[in-house]
Amino acid sequence: MDALIQLSDVSKQYDKDGAFAVEDVSLQVAPGESVAVMGPSGSGKSTLLNLIAGLDRPTAGTVTVAGQRIDSLSETSLAKYRRQRVGMIFQFFNLLDDLTVADNVLLPAQLAGLSRAAARRRAGELLDRLKISQHRQAYPARLSGGERQRVAIARALVNSPELLLADEPTGALDSVTGEEIGELLLELNQAGQSMIMVTHNADLAVRYASRTIQIVDGRLVGDEVSSGAGTGWQS
Amino acid sequence: MSARPVLRAASGGVTRHRAQTFVIFMVLLVSTASATLGLALLAAADGPFDHAFAAQRGADAAVAVSSAHLTTAQLAATSRVSGVTAAAGPFSATTATLSSQGVTLPSSAVVGRSSPGGRLDELTLVTGHWAQKPDQIVLSEGMGFFPGLGTKMTVPTAPGTPVLTVVGIANSITNTADAWVLPGEISALRPAGAPVRAEMLYRFASAGTAAQIRGDVAAVAAALPAGAVGGFTSWLNARQQATGNSTILAPFVEAFALIGLFMSVLIVANVVSGAVVASYRRIGVLKSIGFSPAQVVVAYVARVGAPALAGCLVGLAAGNLLAIPVLHKSAASFGVGQQQVPLWVNVLAPVVMCALVALTAFVPALRAGRLSAVQAIALGHAPRQGRGYAAHRIASRFRLPRPVSIGLAAPFARPARTAGTLAAIMFGVTAVIFAVGLDSTLSRAEEGQRLATTAPVQVGLASDNAWQPGSRPGRAITAALRSRPGTLRYVAVAQTELGAGGGLALKVNAQAFDGNAGWLGYGLISGHWYRGTGQAVVNTAYLDQTGLAVGDTTTVSTGTRSVTARIVGEVFVPGNQPALMTSVQTLGGTSANLALDQYDVGLKPGVSIDSYVGQLNSALGANYWVSGPGQGQFYLIADSLIAMLTLMMAVVAGLGVLNTVLLATRERVHDLGVFKAVGMTPRQTIAMVLCWMVAPAVVAAVIAIPVGMALHTAIANAMARAAYTGLPASFLAVYRPAGIVLLALSGLVIAAAGAFLPASWAARSKTATALRAE
Repeated sequence: MDALIQLSDVSKQYDKDGAFAVEDVSLQVAPGESVAVMGPSGSGKSTLLNLIAGLDRPTAGTVTVAGQRIDSLSETSLAKYRRQRVGMIFQFFNLLDDLTVADNVLLPAQLAGLSRAAARRRAGELLDRLKISQHRQAYPARLSGGERQRVAIARALVNSPELLLADEPTGALDSVTGEEIGELLLELNQAGQSMIMVTHNADLAVRYASRTIQIVDGRLVGDEVSSGAGTGWQS
Repeated sequence: MSARPVLRAASGGVTRHRAQTFVIFMVLLVSTASATLGLALLAAADGPFDHAFAAQRGADAAVAVSSAHLTTAQLAATSRVSGVTAAAGPFSATTATLSSQGVTLPSSAVVGRSSPGGRLDELTLVTGHWAQKPDQIVLSEGMGFFPGLGTKMTVPTAPGTPVLTVVGIANSITNTADAWVLPGEISALRPAGAPVRAEMLYRFASAGTAAQIRGDVAAVAAALPAGAVGGFTSWLNARQQATGNSTILAPFVEAFALIGLFMSVLIVANVVSGAVVASYRRIGVLKSIGFSPAQVVVAYVARVGAPALAGCLVGLAAGNLLAIPVLHKSAASFGVGQQQVPLWVNVLAPVVMCALVALTAFVPALRAGRLSAVQAIALGHAPRQGRGYAAHRIASRFRLPRPVSIGLAAPFARPARTAGTLAAIMFGVTAVIFAVGLDSTLSRAEEGQRLATTAPVQVGLASDNAWQPGSRPGRAITAALRSRPGTLRYVAVAQTELGAGGGLALKVNAQAFDGNAGWLGYGLISGHWYRGTGQAVVNTAYLDQTGLAVGDTTTVSTGTRSVTARIVGEVFVPGNQPALMTSVQTLGGTSANLALDQYDVGLKPGVSIDSYVGQLNSALGANYWVSGPGQGQFYLIADSLIAMLTLMMAVVAGLGVLNTVLLATRERVHDLGVFKAVGMTPRQTIAMVLCWMVAPAVVAAVIAIPVGMALHTAIANAMARAAYTGLPASFLAVYRPAGIVLLALSGLVIAAAGAFLPASWAARSKTATALRAE
């Protein structure tokens, strides 16, 4: 089976003479896999995720997602890549405060030019599935942390992306809510959603990812299959 | 208070926020430049005449006295009359008719002076030299008659018809005479039986108004025997004539100066206070590390003060540079050498602007200084929660691309800042609508006055001779005109001076046309063009000074006979000189001995004026002059001013928009990162940011349309009043619906131009970096 994500000798340096945030990383992720990226603060986990999301460009190496080289795409093509192929969720949700829950979820579909009816139908399904449809007209500031993260997940999934990228998805949540979000991500993966999740939380990685990679000082130092419930295969 | 950390905080802000520093610099540059230019132009309205008046020691009044029974000592004693600060004279004087080359000039005041200098009214020799022999005469530049030096002039009204030789042209700042000869020559030029007269010149302690001068002259008259003072001319009349153009321009310049000032205040306040408010978070951080409220105030006033001061100084230089060509043209039209931006303008403009900056920075900085560190950080983070949410909800219902609807709702998050920007755009659009309208009105006024479209070519005799209707020169010209295929039509005109009837000693500039002249297209304020013998059209000054109205009958004197005509129209001829237009037949036809001066020629469509003039010149030869239309100095100055000031207003408004959008993109940088992270393309980002300003621009344009049109009508009428004329309705009806829509679009252009740079920056910003921004 072809890899969904293929990183080859990827390095990222923010300053020309500075240290490498990511150095010589090569990595393959298969479709349907759930990968946890772990490492200490400043190790390069989020940088790696940003490179895969097309939010940043590598200094060296190539990043290929679903057969498409994204490191050489134009900004416009990268935007289209992000809206069609990737969904992202963040530690602090990154919802737009002045848009309602429904409008936040609809936004990527509207940017992609999906018809109004189709977008609303898809958003409705997701809000129902994530059990937040009662808040569709509420503003994010009035929701709990867990509810906000569910809205963020709905937004990430509205265009049915091949890949879900999660940057510390439970980092800003209490333990109970974090468990709920973990279970939700596990459900999504079990339904076939490919996923890469950056986390500090070893327990979360073990329980909800099928594979864990370790990064220290920008280098890949470990890659092992988790004993948790993740469904993906390993290379 | 330690200065070092304060200055470091200030300089850090300046260098870190380069775009905002640049905006503050540019806004102050353009505002100061426009203020400098506006004030300089206002000063120029009075400057040239006053300068020349002082340099030439002009007389406040030239008093005509019957000197036959007065001694020189009696007249000299009037210099000690209360209120008189200086006196010169007596200069012997008389009235004479001068004639040369077949042209007989109107009755002229001739004064005897042994030299052009003196305690008062120092004459400036324009060309030639002063009279050195009894038969020499120096003409006044103010007569407007410029024969070559050495030209012989006869004085048919004097016994023996003496002949004088023109040896010079001189200028009197207050027009104290039409010509000068040596004092001993006056008696030879005096008509038989005419009284012996002299001219006394005075400066008074109070001579600012006509009433004061009348009082001063009455005091002089009281010191002399009854009936000795025959009349006087006031410096105020000369000043009015000299500053006429500037006076006409004054309402327009004042309107622009006012708009510019409002805009400057608004935008400087918006920019500077916005810069401080945008720094609340940083202020909070500074306070948390120990900055006192006073240090915060000083740091932030200094931070906006540095680029503002630099902008003021560069703007001052730019304002002076921009003023040079305009003042040069103005000085040329006054004939007063050079004009410069007055020192007080160079001091006042930057001082006022800097004070404005200090004030607008001080208030929010003081507020920030008094806030707790936590409050400042919280306030600086983002717009207040809840603001603009409803607008987003409503906008999302429209079937618009999502970046557009999000952009349209965004301004509601910062209502005060949006209102300031809206006002700035409104002033900018008002300026554009007003300026375009005024330009059209002035174009129509110029056309109505100079006939550059209907009769672009004039032909006459090169020697400045006039000719009788039907005589050889006229036949030669008409033959040449008929032979030119480009000739559409022509009419001969006699220009003469008439006396108005009704017992008023009014001199009237008359034009009598020998044929149909309705096609010339003079603007009509009311009534209609004359349609037959016995009808005439007159200008506003004529009606005002005679007390007549359209429909009334007027009587004018040609010198040899009185003519009565019915006034059938009020024609647009600016100026305080009464003017009358009629047919040669109305003034008596050939029996009136009217001499024709020139032909006004209309051309067929598409004919090149230059080549027509060249061909006609070749055909007629050196004895005739042929001229095409030039551009009037006044209209040239007005056009330059309108273009320059409108551009400045639009630039200032655009900078105001740029500042607002820049602040908004800085505040919303994180949201921009989110938009891009979920798939917004650079083009969609630019569209969204441009749309932030669409709603304010549309509202501004809707307000600006009636305001600009009303301002246009008011200022055009004020300018007309300053030019002693009414305006034809067609001169004011310059706005058409399609044109108004296009002009209103200037608001969107200003908004788009101002927002484009920050929109591009937003589109290019790195998503990952934006997402990390707090």
